[in-house]
Amino acid sequence: MDDLVLQTITRILMPFIQVYGIFVIVNGHLSPGGGFAGGTILGASVILYALTFNVGAAEDLYPDDLAEAVESSSVLIFVLVGLFAILMGANFLTNIGIFPSPETGTLFTGGFVTPLTLAIGVKVASTVITLFTHLFGEKKP
Amino acid sequence: MNDPTVHIPVIVICTSLIGAFLAPVLGKYRPALVGLMARLIAPVNALLLVILLRYVDAGETFHYYMGGWAPPWGIALSVDYLAIYVALIIHLVSAVILLYAKDDLFGEVRGDLHRWYYTLFLLLVAAMTALAFSHDFFNIFVFTEIATIAACALIAIKPKKECIEASFKYLILSTVGSGFILLALALIYMVTGHFNLTLVAQNMGAAAEAYPLNIMVSLALLIVGFGVKSALFPLHVWLPDAHSSAPSPSSAVLSGLVVKIYAVVLIRIILTVFGGEVLAAAPIADMILIIASVAIIAGSLFALAQTDIKLLLAFSTVAQVGYIYMGISLLSETGTMGGLVHIFNHALMKTLLFLAAGAIIHQTGLRKISDLDGIAKRMPITMAVFSVGALSMVGIPGFNGFISKMYLATGAFDAGKPVFILVILMSSLLNGLYYLPIVVRAFLGTNAEEGKFAKDELPLSMTFPLVILGLACIYFGLLPGSLLELVRKAAHYLIAV
Repeated sequence: MDDLVLQTITRILMPFIQVYGIFVIVNGHLSPGGGFAGGTILGASVILYALTFNVGAAEDLYPDDLAEAVESSSVLIFVLVGLFAILMGANFLTNIGIFPSPETGTLFTGGFVTPLTLAIGVKVASTVITLFTHLFGEKKP
Repeated sequence: MNDPTVHIPVIVICTSLIGAFLAPVLGKYRPALVGLMARLIAPVNALLLVILLRYVDAGETFHYYMGGWAPPWGIALSVDYLAIYVALIIHLVSAVILLYAKDDLFGEVRGDLHRWYYTLFLLLVAAMTALAFSHDFFNIFVFTEIATIAACALIAIKPKKECIEASFKYLILSTVGSGFILLALALIYMVTGHFNLTLVAQNMGAAAEAYPLNIMVSLALLIVGFGVKSALFPLHVWLPDAHSSAPSPSSAVLSGLVVKIYAVVLIRIILTVFGGEVLAAAPIADMILIIASVAIIAGSLFALAQTDIKLLLAFSTVAQVGYIYMGISLLSETGTMGGLVHIFNHALMKTLLFLAAGAIIHQTGLRKISDLDGIAKRMPITMAVFSVGALSMVGIPGFNGFISKMYLATGAFDAGKPVFILVILMSSLLNGLYYLPIVVRAFLGTNAEEGKFAKDELPLSMTFPLVILGLACIYFGLLPGSLLELVRKAAHYLIAV
């Protein structure tokens, strides 16, 4: 697709979509939303880019190699955060008492919840984009 | 809870997961290290599970609460003999399969996909281990899904038309099965208000009285859902294609482990959650018993008609899953032991047979049984080991298959249903009819092209796992004492609750 109006508006919209996606991710424990919802919004911005420009452009923006690294490391972060609690002598994925949680209503009030939703959000965003580019571009695996 | 041993179930699941997600990144920069990592993870985990077994032996079995949250809020893992037994089988057998996969993969999977193969394999192992330990309905559903998707991908990774087709068929049918399971869980949650197995079991009596239809429908949906996944006879249609077309290490893990883990989960749910009252209200056990008997006979008859060696082994799996269901639904101690011990024995035998068949295909490219005349002259070790597996399948005394058949027969007698001994005997006869001709053909047959065959042996990385499995088949046939001790405790867990 090669439409100037569409492409310009996409360029203008993309940062707003992404900021909204990040907001939903990091506020997951305070307001409705969370890693999955925010991640799909974040991924949708790149899908919009792929639709208005072309899939190749989206792949340049978010290459497969990066996607592999991001998806693997976000799962590893989740697992390692869980295992950290074992190292501290508590059960797997224990939050209270291991991770600091300051007063209610601030960003890190949930202890490890914010980093975990971040990991989930990044993973979901990356997966949504990869699924789209692979299915849309009919790329060989 | 300060003893680090209690964390072993989680650590075992996590190490497999970490391995699975390190593999794609590591494989890109250091391809040689990925296989090494995968081959290290499984035996180390098996060792950890043996340590856990010692720990559990000393005290009571316990529940592990994720994040320290006790149910009904938190997710629980049930650390009992059954779970450890099944997890131990998973890790021991997959350790052997991964050893074998090192050289076999080069013939069957494209080089740049090897790292993804290890990812899928370790993901499947992690999901199966988690299924063994799960004490929470929703976790069971989630890990069932992970295991299913990973298993489908392990078939489709081989770039052949049959594999894509078989894997697609498997994906569709097992997704339908997952849908059934989810619906069943929703119905159970509706009337009991819990997902934790213990809490559901506590509320089951009242719920069954107030909403008998819900409980019955959910039980039926669970049996069909897990029945599709574990290839219980009339629902087995996806299995032969899927297991025969997959790369040999995948065939071995799918046939040796994956179908059984679903059977274990289903049986654990039926016996410990639904319990005696529901089982008394409807003849569920008898129904499964009859379906399992039909599976045993029909699976063997189908296998008899096959000309492709891997297809024959796949149909034989349909029959062997029948044994497991039969043993446990006899509801006698020896019968349950027979079913459980057959999980281990069949995992050994079928892995051995699939890997041996894979070795033949790897070296010669022959799949048709009629082409295997005199193959033992060319591959003596492989065929010797194959014969051990075949004799085990038939149930010759001295091989491990005999032990499980003996317990099944005793169990049928104890349960007052001696007619099922006849089923076992008949199936042994049928097993003999389709396994022994291959052995006879391989050792005594003469091949017109014999002169052309140079005696080429397999690489050590493929011979070694085969020999280990063959020796294990004989060892557990002659000295099954320690195994039976563990199985007796696992059976007690199932029957006593």
